[in-house]
Amino acid sequence: MLRRITRAVLWTIAALVLGIGSAWWAVKKMPGGGESIRVGAWQANTRAGSADADMYTRAGIAVNALLALGRAETMYFVATTDDAGNPLRSRCTYRVGGAPPKARWWSITAYADDMFLFDAPNHHYSLNGTTANLDANGNFAFTTGAVEQAATYWLPTPGDRGVVLTLRLYNPERSLQTAPASLQAPSILAIGGCQS
Amino acid sequence: MSSSTTRRVVSVCVFLVAVVAIHLLTIWAAPRLIMQILMNGSRSQALNMRNNAAFSAPVTAASRDVVMPSPDMLYSMCVFDLSQGPVRVTANPQLKSYWSIALYAANSDNFFVINDKQAGDAQVDLWLSAADANSSTVPAGSKLVRSPSTQGFLLMRVLTGNYQTEKSVVEPARRTLRCAAG
Repeated sequence: MLRRITRAVLWTIAALVLGIGSAWWAVKKMPGGGESIRVGAWQANTRAGSADADMYTRAGIAVNALLALGRAETMYFVATTDDAGNPLRSRCTYRVGGAPPKARWWSITAYADDMFLFDAPNHHYSLNGTTANLDANGNFAFTTGAVEQAATYWLPTPGDRGVVLTLRLYNPERSLQTAPASLQAPSILAIGGCQS
Repeated sequence: MSSSTTRRVVSVCVFLVAVVAIHLLTIWAAPRLIMQILMNGSRSQALNMRNNAAFSAPVTAASRDVVMPSPDMLYSMCVFDLSQGPVRVTANPQLKSYWSIALYAANSDNFFVINDKQAGDAQVDLWLSAADANSSTVPAGSKLVRSPSTQGFLLMRVLTGNYQTEKSVVEPARRTLRCAAG
């Protein structure tokens, strides 16, 4: 009898671990669910914040980007790799740049892999439509990493952990709302190596 | 097939069904649980957010209440509770830059949003009501908004590209938010 109860308890614990663990893996590793699109290194969920989101999208947004807005109001693109497909690391340096997105206002923020801000000593957490200085071609650029690069806007990412770059587009143009894949994706290039 | 083998196969099937059921239940429950913590947790109670506007400090690396805080936004919020009747929300930021007021249901869905362009020069005046409530008492000038859940979360975003230089403008503007039982 005791053996049977022990076995039932162990099976129940195993079912809980597998059921909850696989759910956690699904929302952390596949936050886009089945409705995500990819442009360059950037990924977006077209149903984020929407009432018609499927339950995986809703769970993924709640865990990774709680209180997101629908895409008519704001579009969110997230990058966890550089353009070469290598995972972003905070001890490495990247140059991010491109044309300002077609939106009323935009920003790119560097988050640690726990989805909170890095403790940036210069308090630069993002580059946005207000703080970006455009070059002669009308493009913006900044660097992010553990070490400041000369003559660039620097988003510090101290420590050694994963980095999540988030591009927010407030009131995106209608063409972008209807075709998110038409985004001119900012490039993310590894430069200057990584701190050991 | 022997009876012990049959028993073993049945046990494995029951186990797999249980794993799938727990998986789906977790996916379904996660946003609801996270919203419950947001609406009824210690921070909500400390800021007295139930049917009352609260104004959080500008976002820094120390801001760890909600994932992915935007450092370019000033956040104001309120937990609306329609169990005792409608809640009236008013705001009159009169800013030239972006702001929005978004309403979220208890399952985390964003069911309503209004921004500065849509509001124009008019004051925001919303009459939040439960989906099945009588709408005959909506005050003149108020816009009726039906909430899919009895409890929900209001988040006001005010853009501040440079808080230190814009503080004298954006702080009074966001503090026009009111959230009170009707």
